[in-house]
Amino acid sequence: MRITDIASRTDIEALKREIAVPQSGEFRPEWFRAEGYRRLSEKGENGLTMPVKRAEAIYTLFTLPEPFIYENDLIAGSIRPLFKVLTDEQKAEAAELTSHYPERWFGTHSDHFAPDYKTVLELGIPGLQNKIARYKEIHRSDAKAADILESMSIALRGLSDRLKAYAEKAASMLSKLADRSGIEAQRLRFIRENCYTLTVSAPKTFAQGLQLVWMIHSCFMYEGRYAMALGRIDQYLYPLFKKDIDAGELTEEAATALVANTFAKICEARLRGGDDVVNICIGGVDPDGKNAVNPLSFCVLKAVGTVNLPGPNLSARIAPDTPDKFLDECLKVIGTGLGYPALMNDSVNIPALLRYGYDEKDVRNYCMVGCIENFLPGQQPPWVDGRFDPIVYLEKLLLDRDSLRSSSEELGLKNGQDATDDPDAITSMDEFMKLYEIMLVRGVKEYVDNANRIMHVPDPEDKTSPFLSCFAELCIERGQDINNGGSKYPSVHGAALMGVGTVSDSLAAIEKLVFTDRTYKLSEIIRAMRDNFEGHDALREAVLSAPKYGNNDDTVDKYAVWYTKRLSDEFFKYRTYDGGGFYTAMAANISNIYAGSTLGATPDGRLAGKPLSDAASPTYGCDRRGVTSTFLSVSKPDYTNCACGTVVNQKFDPSAFRDGKREKLLRLIRVYFNRGGQEVQINSTSRRTLIDAMEHPDEYPSLVVRVSGFSAIYVTLAKEVQLDILSRTQHDDL
Amino acid sequence: MTDSGEEKLLNVSEIQHFSTGDGPGIRTTVFVKGCNLHCPWCHNPETVSPLPQKLVFSGSGKTVIYGRKMSAEAVAAEVLEDREFYGADGGLTVSGGEPMLQADAVSGLMRILERDGIRTVIDTAACVPWEKFAPLLGRVQTFLVDYKTSSDETYAGQIGGDRETVIDNIRRLIGAGETVRVRVPLIPGVNTSDTDASLMCGQLAKAGVKTVDLLPFHRLGSAKYTAMGKEYAYAGISPPDAETVSRLRSIFAGYFDCFVE
Ligand code: SF4
Repeated sequence: MRITDIASRTDIEALKREIAVPQSGEFRPEWFRAEGYRRLSEKGENGLTMPVKRAEAIYTLFTLPEPFIYENDLIAGSIRPLFKVLTDEQKAEAAELTSHYPERWFGTHSDHFAPDYKTVLELGIPGLQNKIARYKEIHRSDAKAADILESMSIALRGLSDRLKAYAEKAASMLSKLADRSGIEAQRLRFIRENCYTLTVSAPKTFAQGLQLVWMIHSCFMYEGRYAMALGRIDQYLYPLFKKDIDAGELTEEAATALVANTFAKICEARLRGGDDVVNICIGGVDPDGKNAVNPLSFCVLKAVGTVNLPGPNLSARIAPDTPDKFLDECLKVIGTGLGYPALMNDSVNIPALLRYGYDEKDVRNYCMVGCIENFLPGQQPPWVDGRFDPIVYLEKLLLDRDSLRSSSEELGLKNGQDATDDPDAITSMDEFMKLYEIMLVRGVKEYVDNANRIMHVPDPEDKTSPFLSCFAELCIERGQDINNGGSKYPSVHGAALMGVGTVSDSLAAIEKLVFTDRTYKLSEIIRAMRDNFEGHDALREAVLSAPKYGNNDDTVDKYAVWYTKRLSDEFFKYRTYDGGGFYTAMAANISNIYAGSTLGATPDGRLAGKPLSDAASPTYGCDRRGVTSTFLSVSKPDYTNCACGTVVNQKFDPSAFRDGKREKLLRLIRVYFNRGGQEVQINSTSRRTLIDAMEHPDEYPSLVVRVSGFSAIYVTLAKEVQLDILSRTQHDDL
Repeated sequence: MTDSGEEKLLNVSEIQHFSTGDGPGIRTTVFVKGCNLHCPWCHNPETVSPLPQKLVFSGSGKTVIYGRKMSAEAVAAEVLEDREFYGADGGLTVSGGEPMLQADAVSGLMRILERDGIRTVIDTAACVPWEKFAPLLGRVQTFLVDYKTSSDETYAGQIGGDRETVIDNIRRLIGAGETVRVRVPLIPGVNTSDTDASLMCGQLAKAGVKTVDLLPFHRLGSAKYTAMGKEYAYAGISPPDAETVSRLRSIFAGYFDCFVE
């Protein structure tokens, strides 16, 4: 049976149901790793170097668990074998054993990484092993390099033997089938064939390429890594795709089915509680700057729509010459209520990354890791980021007299004036901003010192990542670990700037009330902040009616422009411990909620404990003039300063995604990107959202529903009217 | 008609950005205040009276004042903010209320926008003397004209207008070479019978109409009635079901290019 037939007879929904079946036991990769260390010491191999020991443990981790294949699998590789029921004693024992081999964690470059899949697809595992052997020879006088290469070779053997075990498992399942010619048997033969081939050669078909990528990805899961990206899958798999299509061996439908079958397993993460964020990037330009959208891009897009679950975190890169057809297909998938793909603007991200001195061809090949972080696949150590809260320094300046005095002192030293700790002695907004900048400059330095202290492990020669290093450019050539000089470019750190809306609105309120209208003194605003605005109704009214970011009003938008540029410039001055860059981001995920929960009231009228504005978006509910005004405001800052990336969330009701209406969204996005918007994450307010908004109106203050000649804030509508709208949206949902 | 400054001011109820249901492309819709009809199903009741009105929304506790006199320059400035988004087909829509009651002021607004190549759609119930259209002829991208029923009585009674005037204006607009798109609101119990639909089709076809949009009734406006302290006669009326809509659509589609909004 041909792959086209096998694929068309395999039901993705059936696979999703299989994947959703709960799994007993706990996700315990460390137990298998510990088992590896135990076996080593049993064999008395205590003289081995750390990198080799680690690699041996990885070998056991990859090969000891018995493979698991779903009945509806076309591409195999599951994390189920890592679930174990352990006694407390066993757990303690495993913890003891592994404690001698501490692993890196997110803060020290362990995950959020996009591997170089292109090379391994070209060379295959045997080819990669040959390359390692060749460089072992070249580095033979360098014991350390030889050791690192040896460890990589062992880890890679683990991958190869795991594929072999999968082939054997498929064979044994096949032998137990009564019907040897049915579709189940065909699938198992397909898996057996693909997995076996990969142990002896480079992938020869699209399916084998996909199987190799997935098995590697699943090995990363075995290592306990999270947020490992698949990167530009429509680019690195395209040669195999095209070869098969041209030979008549594959159809776009079959390719879509294979990809969906693979992506569905990303959702296995739910078995261990919570979705993974596996970034997958499609579209954009190629290393030469030409449009890179190809037929496989559409297949991947469709596959993500088919899987229709969070986990495969799809990003679509949009360049000026990206075909409208592609953007339109993206909007169709978004309109299903999935919220993916996130749309990324090549015209901003590429210049932003170029500021850090990378080769242009490498930059054009960027993808994302995690939620939205820009990444050069296989050329950087795993990603690290942290949170920088500029609003904290505004609060400090206002609420802490020592901070005000010391920053006035610093400003005074420049101006030749006396220091003061009296807020009402500040004479102009200009002066106020200078004081705030002094606070921020100090804050950034503190942040950077701290980040470098955390990121830089003192013993990089011991804390190696032999498996990961196999999929990073130049590690083999240099005989170095990815985190110890092996990767092409040094480490980077992303500082996620919190609350651009909250900060901008706060500064605009201070400017208007204190320095322009002179209706309130700064000390009065400070008092109200301390009292969480209780008993300061008139003042709160006044700050709330001050200009707000997101309404195309320069009197406040200028602060967002300043915020983006000033903070990014400051971070740009610093280097990570190995000479890499500090990027900035405005992508809160949900940390704006945490950040806000510990903060007191702010001058924009936000009450203590409430969330800060989200990512690069205006404060929720404050952009009242509609999406065009929001986009006009939000595209004012120069995001080529934010190399990590930004997020702007926008919701539209399902009618906006209908045929005949989608072109308006498309135009909206094109104009926004043309103006320098960096990213937009569009959500269709699915039925689910509308129902949720009926129950929790507070959480949806600006959810707009549109019908011809009319639009309304959904939560202000009467219940039966909301129900009318629900019934209108019924046919828009898939 | 006087030429005083006052006449040139627009009586604006609300300005809505990124309108996607009021004509081609991305548009900014200026809802003007004041209407000469009183359709009981009206979904924008705050636009009927020309006087400013305060609406207090009980749910959110928000108070909104509808109605402010704005100069054409001020309105144009807000419309021009979005100019990049309009592209070749988008632009301004003037809706209401009845824009034709403020035709001179609308014309003044259009004149400013025309300098920047921005085109205007007029959304009107067309129950005004033909002369009112004079200043706008040859300058409007599309006239969206409401046609509510084939019945003279319903027009004269419930709606408070003259059907003949409407159909006459439609014919004259088409005759003058204007682009006209007729919009028929589908109001349960008023115009959703097959007979009414067929009669409307005949009348509109005779007037030369080529394109009709059907706008199924919805009661999104009910919150506004409550906020105005008014009873909404249609608060208890459900939107027409999908079957009714498709039945009516097939009737209209026999005569016109027909779309359901
Ligand atoms: S013509 Fe339009 S605005 Fe005037 S009352 Fe009727 S529905 Fe309302």
